[in-house]
Amino acid sequence: MNAVPVDVVLVDDHHMFRTGVRASLDARVRIVGEAEDVDGAVAVIHEVRPPVVLLDVHLPGGDGGGGTEVLRRCADLLAETKFLALSVSDAAEDVVGVIRVGARGYVTKAIDGPALSDAVVRVASGDAVFSPRLAGFVLDAFGTAAGDVATGDDELDRLSAREREVMRLIARGYSYREVASELFISIKTVETHVSAVLRKLQLSSRHELTRWAAARRLL
Amino acid sequence: MTTAEDPTARPTAPVRLPLRRPERGRWFGGVALGLAAHLDWPVRRVRILFLAAALLFGVGAVLYAFLWLTVPVGDPVEAATITRPAFLGRLARRQAVAGHPLRLPGPEVLAGVLLVVGAAALLLVRSHSAVNLSWVLPVFVLVAGVVLAWSQLGVVTRGRSREVPGGRAQAFLRIAGGLLLAGVGVLLLATQVVGAGIDPGLLGQVVVAAVAVVAGVALVLAPWWLRLVRELGDERAARAREAERADIAAHLHDSVLQTLAIIRARADEPAEVARMARAQERELREWLYQDRPAPGTSIAAEMRAVVAEVEDTRSGPEGEAVAVDLVVVGDRAPDAGTAALLQATREALVNAVVHGRPPVSAYLEVGDEQVEVFVRDHGDGFELDDIPSDRFGVRESILGRVRRRGGTATVTCKESGTEVHLVVPVGPCPADDVGTLPTGTAQLKEKEKAT
Repeated sequence: MNAVPVDVVLVDDHHMFRTGVRASLDARVRIVGEAEDVDGAVAVIHEVRPPVVLLDVHLPGGDGGGGTEVLRRCADLLAETKFLALSVSDAAEDVVGVIRVGARGYVTKAIDGPALSDAVVRVASGDAVFSPRLAGFVLDAFGTAAGDVATGDDELDRLSAREREVMRLIARGYSYREVASELFISIKTVETHVSAVLRKLQLSSRHELTRWAAARRLL
Repeated sequence: MTTAEDPTARPTAPVRLPLRRPERGRWFGGVALGLAAHLDWPVRRVRILFLAAALLFGVGAVLYAFLWLTVPVGDPVEAATITRPAFLGRLARRQAVAGHPLRLPGPEVLAGVLLVVGAAALLLVRSHSAVNLSWVLPVFVLVAGVVLAWSQLGVVTRGRSREVPGGRAQAFLRIAGGLLLAGVGVLLLATQVVGAGIDPGLLGQVVVAAVAVVAGVALVLAPWWLRLVRELGDERAARAREAERADIAAHLHDSVLQTLAIIRARADEPAEVARMARAQERELREWLYQDRPAPGTSIAAEMRAVVAEVEDTRSGPEGEAVAVDLVVVGDRAPDAGTAALLQATREALVNAVVHGRPPVSAYLEVGDEQVEVFVRDHGDGFELDDIPSDRFGVRESILGRVRRRGGTATVTCKESGTEVHLVVPVGPCPADDVGTLPTGTAQLKEKEKAT
């Protein structure tokens, strides 16, 4: 559908996995650079300045911070470069940790080629990519009780009723398209909600969120 | 590029084995053998050097005795693997080396030494030499005390004091006895030096003064000693933690290896291979990325068990293995209501896997007042009204179970798939429900009611 393929830098320490990803991505995505550790990734990303980076969360090298460290050291590029975290781990601290330092989405390595290409294209166009599990973590972090609903649009510490509904549907395994038809809204609106949730997850200093994060040794 | 940053890839400096006295292949105390291992010299050279040094005013003998007392017993190679961080060493346990270690018969040697000393003393007395027996006795008592006190070191450093019942008490007795003997020996020597006509009162004062000096020194050195003890404790705890982690890793590697072997043997059965790979992945994930709750305290863990069971035992319409995507939000202790909910969830999952179409997702949300489950697949679904009410199927096993617990159950069929939505109310205080009705009995009762 897109005439120009999206340029991607692939950062992963497993050669076999990089080969697999390269083979499975379709024509909408083009790999322009690869790195296998923190320092290499920071260097390649600063040199190539790709629109999207596929970033493994667990990386050797640097100060041992893995993908989170790469994101911190590439903070000056976050306006133009979008990071999509990719990991074999689906633990809360890995997922939420990498989102909170600026990744635009999180997918596990079990994802198939077309879905990964979809996710890359979506991240490149400025949207966030939420897996069911990430949606579950968000609901866990922001709470699901009746008192946890945001009243104003600018409230960072709570999800609005609609955002929560979208998150629950994603956690239940609905695709964006299915969420849209379930809630009688457009896909674009779903994407707006998801992006708003991502922003809240990154910026919120909500007491519960920090406590939750502290319990999982995130902060 | 990676090797430069890799902390494990240090330049291979010649690593010395720690100084230990091996029990296998030793002649006397294993000092020469241990020293040879430590210096990476041939043991023959060390032994010859010791002998030569012994001829030189007994320097070698003294050195040997000193090392015998201070160097702990143990296998140097084994000690080296213990001091290495667990992630560097191999994870599986090593097989013990066969063969009997040479052990010096302690009492016999002691008796021999006593006899030799006695004979020497008799000879001296016989020859009317200038050596006075009144000097020999205090020295003998003093040496006996010192030997007794030092002998406990061997017991402690072997690390057996905790394993042998009463080992600690024995070590304490040895030290106390040694102290007493040495003290008496010193006193006897002192009186010998001063002369026979010593005033008992003065002797008492001397004893008090000596004890006071010792007490003062102990008071000053106590913090240092305490710190040593504490550091030792910390180190032991850290080592135990590391050993535990290594055990877990070894267990995991074991199971992964077995799964890989089975997969290779059955490579022509794709469904079976997929199922085994999925089960292994699940186990690894559970160990690597999750804090495991105590059994019976977590609905989330029970839900995971239910999903695992369905994934392992059920196949899709074409006999293929079906993975269930599970998301859990919140957690609490299970009660009778949630047990019924999980039973119903299991039936819904089986239904989705066997009759529906993948991907199958399950979502569990634990709220303050209710627990909700969604089970979704992409199949065409089924019409509830089509199912005769007398058939013990979806109607009873899924819907009935939940409704009897005051919950609701709905089945929604759309073009995008079928979704079963189950809700049961739960009490506000989760802690009260724990233990009063174990989930096992709850399930039993549920089954009785159902039949």
